[in-house]
Amino acid sequence: MLKKKKYLLGLMLALLSFVLLACGNESASSDKDESNSDDPDTTETADDSNEPFAFTIMANLHTPEVPTETVLEEIEKLTNTKIEIQWVPDNNYEDRLNTAFATNTLPEAVFLKNQSTFIQFRDAIQDGQFWELDPYLDEFENLKKLKENVQDNTRVDGKLYTLYQGRPLSRQGIIYRKDWADNLGLEAPKTVDEFFEMARAFTEDDPNETGTDDTFGITDRNDLIYGAFKTVASWFNTPNNWGEVDGELMPEFMFDEYVQTMDYFKELHSNGYINQDFPVTSKVDQQEFFKNGTAGIYIGSMGDVVSLYNDAVTINPDVELDVHNYVEGPTGEYGIWAIPGYGNLVMFPKSSVETEEDLKKLLGFFDQMMTPEVMNYAYWGIEGVHYEVIEGRALPVDDAALTDREVKPYQAIEVGEPETNGRYEGYFDYEPKAKSEDLFIDNENYLIEDPTVPLYSETFTRDGARLQQIITDATYQYILGQIDLDGFNAAVDNWKSQGGEKIIQEFNESYQN
Amino acid sequence: MIIYDETLFIYLSIKLAFNLVKKWGFAMASIAIPRTKSKKKMTAVDRKKRRSETWRRIKRNKLIYLMILPGVIYFLVFKYLPMYGLIISFQDYKPYLGITGSEWVGFAHFERLFTSPEFWMIFRNTLGLFALQIFIYFPIPIIISLMLNEVRHSLYKRGIQTIIYIPHFMSWVVIVSISFVMLTLDGGIINSLLETFGFEKINFLMSAEWFRPIYIIQVIWREAGWGTIVFLAAITAVDPQLYEAARIDGANRFRQMWHITLPSIRSVIIVLLILKIGNVLELGFEHVYLLLNASNRSVGEIFDTYVYVAGLQQGQFSYSAAVGFFKGIVGLIMVVIANKLAKAFNEEGIY
Repeated sequence: MLKKKKYLLGLMLALLSFVLLACGNESASSDKDESNSDDPDTTETADDSNEPFAFTIMANLHTPEVPTETVLEEIEKLTNTKIEIQWVPDNNYEDRLNTAFATNTLPEAVFLKNQSTFIQFRDAIQDGQFWELDPYLDEFENLKKLKENVQDNTRVDGKLYTLYQGRPLSRQGIIYRKDWADNLGLEAPKTVDEFFEMARAFTEDDPNETGTDDTFGITDRNDLIYGAFKTVASWFNTPNNWGEVDGELMPEFMFDEYVQTMDYFKELHSNGYINQDFPVTSKVDQQEFFKNGTAGIYIGSMGDVVSLYNDAVTINPDVELDVHNYVEGPTGEYGIWAIPGYGNLVMFPKSSVETEEDLKKLLGFFDQMMTPEVMNYAYWGIEGVHYEVIEGRALPVDDAALTDREVKPYQAIEVGEPETNGRYEGYFDYEPKAKSEDLFIDNENYLIEDPTVPLYSETFTRDGARLQQIITDATYQYILGQIDLDGFNAAVDNWKSQGGEKIIQEFNESYQN
Repeated sequence: MIIYDETLFIYLSIKLAFNLVKKWGFAMASIAIPRTKSKKKMTAVDRKKRRSETWRRIKRNKLIYLMILPGVIYFLVFKYLPMYGLIISFQDYKPYLGITGSEWVGFAHFERLFTSPEFWMIFRNTLGLFALQIFIYFPIPIIISLMLNEVRHSLYKRGIQTIIYIPHFMSWVVIVSISFVMLTLDGGIINSLLETFGFEKINFLMSAEWFRPIYIIQVIWREAGWGTIVFLAAITAVDPQLYEAARIDGANRFRQMWHITLPSIRSVIIVLLILKIGNVLELGFEHVYLLLNASNRSVGEIFDTYVYVAGLQQGQFSYSAAVGFFKGIVGLIMVVIANKLAKAFNEEGIY
């Protein structure tokens, strides 16, 4: 009996120690991983020999899958680096960024996603958590070329902390079914009334000539900014986030134009010219309505016309698309909202980049990235495999699955824009895509800029995102007819009382100076 | 049958731990009695003796102590250790300064929470969903188990059991997406049916009224089958002699169920109810978050979703820690009250 007990005891101890050992092993192996990424040995030896400089980048993943390393290896060879990229799906980039920040595990180079995440990090930047770049940029021939005016939009208290990734100032416009418009004898809409008529006709006049009522006009999604709403608001000449009245800055939703836009959407919605559940429709579902021929108008980045066409044509070979930008509002003017010249920003946390020397190596890498040789790899892939050069422009190969898997994700680590980094512009054999590129440039004549980009409001940094939710919710509810104008104004008052008043005040103080 | 349910595991380990503590406590008390009487006279020798007494006890029952060790370690490492992070709710936490370096702000975050106009809305919503869970969801697995228990054909019974377990293994994303596809106005099957039968379409997804029904129906669909496991196990433990006696006395099936099965599993029901109440502020973050939208936020925003948005999406770590802390305290109070109530009704309670 006693023997049995001892045996049992031994067995238990063995089990327990096995569990503990397993845990121990795991932490040991993860330690090893970490030391690999910023191995002190490699960095030290890099000084005197040509050991590659190893570091990690956190970047946005816009495709469903993590890419293969074919292209990355080429970049590493050219720049003599060993790069590990932490791919984070763009959908939950904010969470991961904040989690990494909270646990002090940000890697050496961190992409931020967009302007609002940048605003969130303002506090940390002011506290000196990221490297200031002004003193170093002059040493780097290519980084020096980055545009002053875009950099100015990213300055915090007049100091520069980021390298930007350039994007056209406004890519917004409409993509529509050219074949449907031809069937109905419609031209591209020039005014909001013509646009409304097109949405109506696409819904009610059987544009696909099937004899059944199986279509609707506009497909939209749960996004007031990159969906249809903000672009249409621009047609109505609504300011971009903030606008000026009598020398004072006010948020966009206090302007009549904003309410007019909501009324316009309300009418589209109640008539069934837009998908009824658009406030809860995902981007995938939204595009699906367009691709499968249920809806005829898509409002957003005109560049999406290629991917929409590629998928739509497999369902219906006769599909014809076109892009269009110019739609006048009731005042007879066309306007379109602009981004501050950058799509994304990269910063260097002091917690992971410990010495000036390492920072210089990192900047050295991005400096090399900004040469055509390296950037073409990152943006277009390998010549002859992923793209061809035609008339000095890059034409991606037809195999979209291949480029999605091997190249496209790396576009997320671009710095600068073709003007400054010298990479090939795209050559587009699909005519509407080429047209959309022209329209991006045309849009620059009608830009509505956000006046608060260089301004600072402490309350906005802290509570802006939470307060915006009040307005976003109220806007949807108004469009759906769940609240009236009084209800919307009540929401605006709520916004004001919860801190909005202070935001207005702080932005205006900052504006006067 | 392998029972792989965390709730049950926690329940059993708590039970075991408490029983041990109880036994140990009595033993300590019996040793302690002479101590209190001759407090002044206690010498180093006495103390040493008492310590060796305890040691002997532990040595004697070492196997039992060894058995609770993994449970104790689990609780220490995963439940107690992380509590130290709650400190940040009294600080203006900056990750790079760490817990030791961040500035102390006292109750500022709690003040902000309690004075925020959203607080009562969130509190109300949380309790609302909590009430749905207790009053609507909780009885359902019991009813199902009683019904299953009456099924005589064992293959059929097991078949049904298996089928109703399956939804438990689906993630909320899948369940919410399925509901979305069925309920959407743009070609959802339910609205299409309503339309063909001449009814008005109903905006299920974007209405404050439909949020709660949809929430609880999804919870029932996913969890009710899984919830029957414990009750079915308890029912099988009922002494068959009781049923035989009842049958001889002329009790029909319903009477047997009412007077034998239910009273026999009463203590299990109460323990699970208390655990449910303690757990109840975990209303399923993922589930609620997926259901939220502009139109139902006024009834659907709960503490978990609020913490997620404030903490992880907007980076207000200290504030969201304070909200989470508050939520935990409410949960603790509820468990204590529920346990007291159980004791008041002459039930065992969980401690």
